[in-house]
Amino acid sequence: MEEKTAGERIYLPVQNAGWGWAIWRELFLELYESRGLIWRLFLRDFSARYRQSILGILWALILPALGVGTFVLLNRSGVLQVGNVGVPYTVYALMGLTAWHVFGGGLPVCTGSILAGGSMVVKINFPKKALVISALGQVVFELLIRLGLLTVVMIVFRVAPSWTVVFVPMVLIPLFLFVLGLGLLLSLCNVVIRDTAGVVGVVTSFLMFLTPVVYPAGEGGLLAKISVYNPLAVLVTAFRDVALKGTLTDPAAFGWASGLSLILFLFSFRVFHIMEARIAERI
Amino acid sequence: MNQTARIKVEGISKKYVTNLRRSMLYGIQDIAHDFFGLSARRDRLRKDEFWAVKDVSFELSPGDTLGIVGANGSGKSTLLKLLNGLIKPDTGRISIRGRTGALIEVGAGFHPLLTGRENIFVNGAILGMGRAEIKRKWDSIVEFAGIGDFLDMPVKFYSSGMYVRLGFAVAAHCEPDILLVDEVLAVGDVAFQKKCFRFIEETILGKGVILCFVSHSIYTVTRLCSKALLLDRGCIRFAGKASEVTPEYYKASRAQSMGNSSRPEPRRPDQDYAKEVRLTHVEMCDGSGNPVDSLQTGDPVEFRLYLDAVREMHFMPRPSLKITDLSGTAIVYSTTRGSDQEWMRLRKGENIVRCRFDSLNLIMGQYVLQAKLGGAGDLVQDFVREAKLFEVKGANEQYESSLGAGLVYAKNQWSLL
Repeated sequence: MEEKTAGERIYLPVQNAGWGWAIWRELFLELYESRGLIWRLFLRDFSARYRQSILGILWALILPALGVGTFVLLNRSGVLQVGNVGVPYTVYALMGLTAWHVFGGGLPVCTGSILAGGSMVVKINFPKKALVISALGQVVFELLIRLGLLTVVMIVFRVAPSWTVVFVPMVLIPLFLFVLGLGLLLSLCNVVIRDTAGVVGVVTSFLMFLTPVVYPAGEGGLLAKISVYNPLAVLVTAFRDVALKGTLTDPAAFGWASGLSLILFLFSFRVFHIMEARIAERI
Repeated sequence: MNQTARIKVEGISKKYVTNLRRSMLYGIQDIAHDFFGLSARRDRLRKDEFWAVKDVSFELSPGDTLGIVGANGSGKSTLLKLLNGLIKPDTGRISIRGRTGALIEVGAGFHPLLTGRENIFVNGAILGMGRAEIKRKWDSIVEFAGIGDFLDMPVKFYSSGMYVRLGFAVAAHCEPDILLVDEVLAVGDVAFQKKCFRFIEETILGKGVILCFVSHSIYTVTRLCSKALLLDRGCIRFAGKASEVTPEYYKASRAQSMGNSSRPEPRRPDQDYAKEVRLTHVEMCDGSGNPVDSLQTGDPVEFRLYLDAVREMHFMPRPSLKITDLSGTAIVYSTTRGSDQEWMRLRKGENIVRCRFDSLNLIMGQYVLQAKLGGAGDLVQDFVREAKLFEVKGANEQYESSLGAGLVYAKNQWSLL
């Protein structure tokens, strides 16, 4: 751990700088200074991702299309009945999936990001938070593509968004903070316990079905009760509401879900900072 | 250059775990301790732990160059990681002032599918250089790497030498106040190695950058560094001037100490020897036959090989001796000629064979004598790789000009024609 006093770095066995203002300032300063590195790491992974593939960037379009297509098919054939949701089901499902992708795509990549860094994590001293954050960069890109797809689909189905659609970025921020918060902690776990990434992948797939992403949260029943306390449910629903309805179904819920996300993020950011030094040893 | 740059290391230690499951368990324990701010007893070894570095202290100021040497596993790389801030010490304190650069993982962050050009930016970013800084130093980096058109090829097509050249070129432009180097220079062709050394000598030493240099090559360390640290299983065996570390290095890598007529170490190559004649020990004597354990350049010297024969023998196995320097380079070799028949008879029991040099012209330094009985046609009776260690300390006036470089002194005269 490092304390900076007039350009001097001190390494001690135990350095718990506490939870005061100084450490937070240092944290965010480091984050700010790493912005170049985060961008560069994202650019590196992004450039390389599609280089040796034929379909290349088309994958970013094909995957969501396949996802929505599957659920629309289930709906049309009567397997997945949702009743009247106010808009064509295709639009409904695509909206939910787009918002969910921040979590469903983001959490697994964040969890595996430190290990994916390879030997440079063990040999070079650089802020490892940059690895986790730049992994989310790919998710941001995919989100933008999906939003584009969503816009096209809405035009095709002649669904007009509400004027509050401009608030969509604001509504997505808590979701990103939530994913990053969990991702930072889980990426650490994954370093010591290697099956974390696998478990996370499986759990997020199941979570998608247990969260009202492709169906509305009902009124009664066990699932509905759980969904009230599921921050993901709240945030995904909020996305849909802001884009279509114009008002939040449950502003209070959105409030606590956002608050929770922020606290989670700050907490795990701080914890990651304390643990960063252990990563190089335990990998 | 930052003139206040400084490294101060006080009593640091680091322990590692050998068992994988335990490593996981301790990892969780350590993380929990870190998080709750509990100070665990870090100066004790838990089960399956060992000290990679134990109680190391030193201090470096601008202009100091420290060579860190030791056998494999002696803790050199761990020490460097501690200095780099990559891992925390378990005891003690490290205080570093100044920008730190590291030549440890050359090509960190390189993605095989990206071109060299693109990877320069990635590597630079990881080492702390922004886009603007890289662009500013671009020409210099490219010229240093010297890989020409390969720069626009994906890095996965590079040879390991090219890879290292590119990585080194980027890392070399970090402009640190403190530079940590870890054996990366072992890869690469001769031209590249020369370039690296020139770079280190001019750019680093010339500017008074503090250098910590881990190496297996004692020669490199004595050439580049002012101070040296010899590590043995994590502990400091020697800390002082680099010019004095060489004997300590070789001493540490063998079990016995120097003596007058020491017992030969039983390091015989795996062969079946007839063992009818054994070499029991070797003595080094001066011109008059008195045992000595050091000599001067140009002195007469006798090596007496004490043999023990099982029975009387008419044909003695041919004795030979080889004098090597501490790294094993052969300098002098001698064996009997085929026509030396008159004394090739051995009694039963002890025999002494003498090899006399009227003037052994080795320069100052430490040497190893290797002795062999038989071979090249005869059955090898015995072979001792390190029969004797001895030292040549200086020269008498005649041979004063032998002080300096070289391995031997060759008698010569200077005159104006």
